Amino acid sequence: MSAAPRRWVFAVMGAVVIGALLFRVGLPIRITSETRQVYEQLESLDSSDVVMISFDHEASSLPEIGPIGSAIIDHCLRRGTKIIGLALFSEGTAAGYSLLGDRARRAGAVEGEDWLYLGFRPQYAAAILGMGEDIPQVFETDYQGRPLSGTPLGMRVHDYRDIAIVVSLSDGSMPTYWVEYAGARYGARVVAALTAVMVTSFLPYLESGQLAGIVPGMKGAAEYEQLMGLPAAGTRGMDAQSAAHVVIAVLVVLGNIQAWSDRRRARRSP
Amino acid sequence: MLRDWLSVGVAMAAGLFMTVQYFLVSESANAAYRTVLLWMQIVFAFALIIGVIGVLRIHLKKLSRPGSGRIYSGTLLAGAVLMSVFGFSGGIERGSAFLWVFDNLQAPMQSTVFSLLAFYVASAAYRGFRARSMESAVLVIAALIVLIGRVPVGEWLSPHIPESADWILNVPALAAKRAILIGIGLGMIATSLKVIAGLERTYLGGR
Repeated sequence: MSAAPRRWVFAVMGAVVIGALLFRVGLPIRITSETRQVYEQLESLDSSDVVMISFDHEASSLPEIGPIGSAIIDHCLRRGTKIIGLALFSEGTAAGYSLLGDRARRAGAVEGEDWLYLGFRPQYAAAILGMGEDIPQVFETDYQGRPLSGTPLGMRVHDYRDIAIVVSLSDGSMPTYWVEYAGARYGARVVAALTAVMVTSFLPYLESGQLAGIVPGMKGAAEYEQLMGLPAAGTRGMDAQSAAHVVIAVLVVLGNIQAWSDRRRARRSP
Repeated sequence: MLRDWLSVGVAMAAGLFMTVQYFLVSESANAAYRTVLLWMQIVFAFALIIGVIGVLRIHLKKLSRPGSGRIYSGTLLAGAVLMSVFGFSGGIERGSAFLWVFDNLQAPMQSTVFSLLAFYVASAAYRGFRARSMESAVLVIAALIVLIGRVPVGEWLSPHIPESADWILNVPALAAKRAILIGIGLGMIATSLKVIAGLERTYLGGR
């Protein structure tokens, strides 16, 4: 492709996405069974249950992972379900702390009682397996260095039997390790909240029942917000995502028409 | 030579222990298992430190040589030093300089680079996604259905588009993915057994 059409492609894509973000169309959002499955499981929990949220992603995927994480955290806080956050990716550590802390403070949740952030542990396989044996042995202190035994929530959790659901917010293959180590070995119920590009990789785990649910990308975040009746960043992003997908589809069709006409011209010319 | 045998011996002993302990129900085996898990994390933490030192050495070398890449190496080194100073001196909790830089500089910059993908994907879709044969035509049609069917505009155009997209993902794509996963699983078992038996030694750096 020459530089000129490439520039046009970039310009059209930029204009369409910005336009869709500025002028909301509000297309209807269909709730998929995958997202509903996760919502209903979290909805069935009460204030005595603990959900573990693992921020297994890099900072680059925050625009997509952030809305999913916010929706799930808000849902837990609204139900009074306790949240324990942690990170198995170093970059997810600060991102998770900011996200969980902000949502919890906004909801008036008390740190140490309603939510707790444990921080990062290296070597995810050993960390996941270790928490199946003894969570305080893997995380002796929380993110800010306070002993786990010094908080009411920290004292309650010993291993996965004390965790109702593990949610892995991931932009990569980390939910596989949660399924293999926490799910298969210790019977933990694992949910994956994924970037859209990773969804196909995890559908076999969902079909086999090894994953208790999947929240698929920004669309999943929008669906979750619809289920909660609180449209937010995910819903706002849907128009832009729809517009970008339409542009790519149109470009695929145009590219094929161009190639077909080129081939036809080449056949005709002597 | 001795170092190689030591490495193979450690891998063999650790591999055998982790396999056998799964079937043991004694308290001493469980205590040993917990110790191994802790050791794995400690060893990996040292590997992280070695990684950081390696990156710093490479970029210090680049900085000392004349060339156009010096500015990038300088930026990386400045970032590494600043974040370390912020983290060790001011802490990492809410309101700290460390978290402010992460939230307001690092995360938006990385997200911006990631978002450039949309432009390159659009450009690549126009240039490369061509129906040159029957098989590639099927692929193009399936991709278009999934592309439109997984966003609200698909539902708005027709309810059959998202239904078709779901079918593509849940039947043919899932079958292919499952076959790939089973293949990967079998390959992992075979490689693990070869590592435990000392037949696979590429982790020693190809020696």
